[in-house]
Amino acid sequence: MTKINQPFYSTNLSFYIILCISIISIIPLFTIIINSSIIDFDFTLFKNSQFLEYTKNSLIILFFVLFLTFIFGVIPAYLVTFYNFVGVKFFKYSLILSFAIPPYIFGYSLSAFFENFGSGYTLINLIWDTNNANSYLPNFSPIVNSVLSLSFTLYGYVYLLSRTSFVGQSVNLLDLGKSLGFSSYQRFFKIILPCARPGIFIGLSLVAMETLSDFGTVSYFGVSTFTTEIYNSWFIFDDLNTSNFLSLLLLIFVLFFFIVENYLRKDSRFHSLKNEGKRKKQALKGTKNFLATAFCLCLFVFSFVFPFSQMLYWSIKFPEYLANFEILKLNLNTFLLIFFTSFFLISVAIFTNFGNRVLKNRFLSVFSSLSISGYAIPGIIISVSIISFFSLVSSFINFDLKTIFIGSFYGLILGYFFRFYSIAYNGIKSNFLKINYSLDESSYLMGFDKFKTFSTVHWPILNKNIFFIFILIAIEIIKELPITLILRPFNFETFSTRAYNFATQDLIEATAIPSMFLIFWASIFILISFKYFFQDNK
Amino acid sequence: MGNFFEVLDATFSSGNDHEIKNINFAIPKKGNIVCLLGPSGAGKTTILRTIAGLEKLKYGTINLNGKIISSNTLSISPDKRNIALSFQDNCLFPHKNVYHNILLGLERKNRKKFLYSPLELLDLFKLKEVQQKYPHEISSGEAQRVSLARSLISYPDLLLLDEPFANIDQILKEDLQKTVKDILKLTKISAIVVTHDPNEAFYLGDKCGIIINNVLKQFDTPYNIYHFPNSLEVVNFLKRGTLLNVKIINRQILKHKSLGIINGKYGCSNLNQFNEGKTVKLLIQPEDLLHDDKSQLKLKIVDRKFRGTNFIYTLKTPEEELIPVLVDSHHQHLHENNEEFGIKTPINIDHLVCFEKK
Repeated sequence: MTKINQPFYSTNLSFYIILCISIISIIPLFTIIINSSIIDFDFTLFKNSQFLEYTKNSLIILFFVLFLTFIFGVIPAYLVTFYNFVGVKFFKYSLILSFAIPPYIFGYSLSAFFENFGSGYTLINLIWDTNNANSYLPNFSPIVNSVLSLSFTLYGYVYLLSRTSFVGQSVNLLDLGKSLGFSSYQRFFKIILPCARPGIFIGLSLVAMETLSDFGTVSYFGVSTFTTEIYNSWFIFDDLNTSNFLSLLLLIFVLFFFIVENYLRKDSRFHSLKNEGKRKKQALKGTKNFLATAFCLCLFVFSFVFPFSQMLYWSIKFPEYLANFEILKLNLNTFLLIFFTSFFLISVAIFTNFGNRVLKNRFLSVFSSLSISGYAIPGIIISVSIISFFSLVSSFINFDLKTIFIGSFYGLILGYFFRFYSIAYNGIKSNFLKINYSLDESSYLMGFDKFKTFSTVHWPILNKNIFFIFILIAIEIIKELPITLILRPFNFETFSTRAYNFATQDLIEATAIPSMFLIFWASIFILISFKYFFQDNK
Repeated sequence: MGNFFEVLDATFSSGNDHEIKNINFAIPKKGNIVCLLGPSGAGKTTILRTIAGLEKLKYGTINLNGKIISSNTLSISPDKRNIALSFQDNCLFPHKNVYHNILLGLERKNRKKFLYSPLELLDLFKLKEVQQKYPHEISSGEAQRVSLARSLISYPDLLLLDEPFANIDQILKEDLQKTVKDILKLTKISAIVVTHDPNEAFYLGDKCGIIINNVLKQFDTPYNIYHFPNSLEVVNFLKRGTLLNVKIINRQILKHKSLGIINGKYGCSNLNQFNEGKTVKLLIQPEDLLHDDKSQLKLKIVDRKFRGTNFIYTLKTPEEELIPVLVDSHHQHLHENNEEFGIKTPINIDHLVCFEKK
């Protein structure tokens, strides 16, 4: 069939724009592959004790974080979905507040509490009036600290996704279990858990990607992992070869989880069953009630109350940092970034999705769904690839693109675009999918052109959810560290970079104020968007 | 002056292998209504969607107002065709209430003044009570009426209706059919109506097309389709009458084993395509045979259906053929099953329609 035969052949321009957007969005992937092709493969690296060290560290952290987030995620999700106990409604919502805490800030709080003469020391002194409090406090190794920080801040993914799978489970299936005489223990292991497997694995894959991408926490605790080594070899030792090689290795690693996640997402559609009846929650009594409440309470306190109050406490205890601190400017910078980036990302996502809907070009829609792969690429790799891409292009075309994009607002937004475009794209896409295609058709048939169709039909339906997509992007940007740290303009600070800088200077008390603000705003954003996270139960 | 709208040698395809080939039909004059009739899954909707410009035309051409709107090299985009399509399923805009959905129809570019105002249409389609409601709050029948009103008020050159009365209950349906026909005739909107209900098609259509097995079997006036179905498929689809084995005596006279001589009217038959003396299948419709208690010719009753204004008796010949006969419901006495039923002789049938015996 010739092109001209398509009903919308006049929209060639948007075809090329969407193509360009898709091409731009795979720059990081492209750059790493180009770079790796010029790597001087030094296989002695594999025998290098350092290499073994950080591979080992990365794997150990990954393993324990996955284990802990599984426990922290699945158990409360199971409890709040199937049982009634004291505070169940509160815990159902409040457990996702852990999303407000970036892992590195949890790390700062951990060391603030457990260090010699830290908050833990003060607390014990206050209660027992002893001078020997330091000896009662455990002294965790850097790896344990990293694992704890990551697990308590990332379990939300597993919690949310397994809860959604539990809620979606058929009541009939559980009744069947009861009629077969299964105990609640057997029902959990034989029916509930296996049926929720795709959801749980998707959550764990996201945790794995975040853990492998994490830079702030491990670099703060001084654990050498892939990300810290990429950073060090690039920015400290200027060893591009190793940096590129490690980027490629890490990427292969992360892409494995990315593929697992996407495979399961497609697969889980067939697993989801219609929820036929209203589920009756079982009320827990006595010890069980107490244990359920205690578990959720501990989780909530450790994951959210602890870091927040620690930062609040320090902000009050060390008011001197407040004095010479440009709070207003930090707030302004952060919100400026959030608004520009989300406006840009959402506009591009709307344009691409609308264009794909109108053009109905298979090649283009497959290609633009490739462009969301960015969220799997660790921020550190994105930053490094942006820098090396623009150096490459600058030297190629003999025009200094580097100064335009490196250390500037544009470069920063581009970095966020690579990393967070998928949030905007998928969010808008799922809303577009809810609009039946026959609405577009009837609009055309009333003589409305594509743009009028968009303004009278699509936009009024889409705009209700755009706010939530904006919030989701805002939460991610406010917590983001490596891209901001590397690509930001000179002296441009956000909460996360400020806190990180203080922490690396060992001014851990000073991290309190930016961290507290960060947690505060992120929590507000999460509170606003509760409805979005819990859309499944109306 | 050529036809107002025509489909020439067109092949329609809905993407998968399903194809409807070599379709030819036309709307001769502005304001005429054409009905496309066929079993579900026959591809009627595909034809409408292609005419509207939502699907590509595989071969052939479609002309509207003397201009080509679809061919295999050209396709005018749907918003520029000035053709409206009222979908079978609900396609109202969910964020607008009934009244505002209808008002959207007024926003067509270069639209001429329509005879009816939105409020009058609400009234005609009995939507006054629901005008402030949103699409998810109304029934599917109401939604279909809203969609119909919205399409009408956009005053297209050609209106395509896909099963427009499918979700509407029987009593309201007949009212609405009249309302729609009146509006179309008054405003001179040409329409193509797709339906699987022959009565609806015969009532609305100036011309009807029967689509069976991916082929347009017959395209003619409702009268001709009813009385001169051109193939066995059309007869079977319309589910009217039965086929009896008869022998051709001459152009106007047939002979059946137990019914005896059957006379036809001159010029109202298709017997000239068969040789004399040949055995063919004759279409007998319920109104063809007349009841007469005093007649010598009697057949056994096997079934009786009460249809309000009339009865349909099913009779059985000694050859095991079943014949339907229509009797006025005011007929003095009822006949029970297995009774003998008299048929008036000699038998005269206005339209002799015969088919080759297979």
